[in-house]
Amino acid sequence: MSNQSQTRPVISLSGVSKAFGATRVLNEINLDVRAGEVLVLIGASGSGKSTVLRIMAGLEKTDSGEVWVNDVPMHDPKRARDIRGHVGMVFQQFNLFPHKTALGNVTLALIKARKMNPADARKRAMEVLDRVGLADRADHYPSQLSGGQQQRVAIARALAVEPGIMFFDEATSALDPELVGEVTEVMRGLARDGMTMVVVTHEMGFARKTADRVVFMDKGVIAEQGEPEEIFVNPSNERTRQFLHRVLDH
Amino acid sequence: MSIELLRTSLSILLQGLVTTLLLSVASIVGGTLIGLLAAVLRSFGPWGTDRIARLYTELFRGTPVLITLMFIYFGVSYFGYAIDVFAAGVIGLSVYQGAYIAEVFRSGIESVAKGQWEVSQILGLSRMQAFAFVVLPQTGRIVLPPLIGQYLSLIKDTSIVSMIGMSELMHGGQAIVDRIGKPVEIYGLVALIYFVVCFPLSQWVRHHDRRRLS
Repeated sequence: MSNQSQTRPVISLSGVSKAFGATRVLNEINLDVRAGEVLVLIGASGSGKSTVLRIMAGLEKTDSGEVWVNDVPMHDPKRARDIRGHVGMVFQQFNLFPHKTALGNVTLALIKARKMNPADARKRAMEVLDRVGLADRADHYPSQLSGGQQQRVAIARALAVEPGIMFFDEATSALDPELVGEVTEVMRGLARDGMTMVVVTHEMGFARKTADRVVFMDKGVIAEQGEPEEIFVNPSNERTRQFLHRVLDH
Repeated sequence: MSIELLRTSLSILLQGLVTTLLLSVASIVGGTLIGLLAAVLRSFGPWGTDRIARLYTELFRGTPVLITLMFIYFGVSYFGYAIDVFAAGVIGLSVYQGAYIAEVFRSGIESVAKGQWEVSQILGLSRMQAFAFVVLPQTGRIVLPPLIGQYLSLIKDTSIVSMIGMSELMHGGQAIVDRIGKPVEIYGLVALIYFVVCFPLSQWVRHHDRRRLS
């Protein structure tokens, strides 16, 4: 392992289990993410990868186990809310505010939650919109933007609060194939800039080229993990092999 | 009918209309505030207030408005206090219609996607901020047509306040009929006045409901 392993993890899951009703979705998950690491979670739908992400972001509670994110104990309901405003999340369905322009989407949390004055918030918003290449669309409403542009606004909105960690939950799955590239390009840029990222995706190209580590989940457990080359070229787990076979030569 | 009688009658109806409109506006404001509060509490009220809000909506949706009015008007005097009939009317109509308006708001709040709450939470907005700045503005287009529809029903319900002695439009009509007879003409005229007030609103609802559903 590289010297990165000596840095303290910014995300740490130990013995995390979770069930929805009678369905067990996570079974004793242990997983650490280091600062600056790009971790990609892959696996079939229902494997539990999105649930892992949502637990890290504080959108789901665990049934048992410990979850630490940025020194916040997410397994403690009283403390879990401390993470709000310190991580960013990008959703499959964008979740832009439809009644706000691109600029309004980005400034809302800055003004209301961060109590920034509107002029500073606008300045910061224009910076992050420029970073995702959409400064010229600041006055457009979500309905006037393409899917790829909407998702880039969503990324800008998440970045504006200067999160320590960015979560991506199938951020490109709802996009037309020709629009996927502009979003993964922005994500690659973030990775290059050293952002800690946890990414759930079906884009194997992104996983292979950008991930520092790939985690393959199957039926609520981590079946295999390693550097992209190990996982994609020479998977040791039979299930990983079957999954990659299915998604790579469909 | 003498000119004099006609003039008195028209003046009674006009005064009645003014009272009806005042009663309507005050009750619309009251009912909307109560309805919004009940909807908010029912959707995310703490400490069992959601249950109280639910009990409230079910109670008033399940009883006639006349009973509500009687309870307030005579109930207050039963406990030895006096209440103005206009105030009793406004309170009764607000509380009664608030239960329906709460349901209108609630359906609007619930129609907003869960993801809007989730992203607001992650961005660091409090629940109240998410409600006020993200969710509520999005309910407007969904809520407005049924809300105006409810206001229409409220305006017509003000006629029932005549039963506890309020001198509004309906009561004025009754007074005239008591004096000169001619119920068909007089009640016909009263109905026409209600219609003239309500028709533009119902046209607006029809137009916007079509747009909303298309």
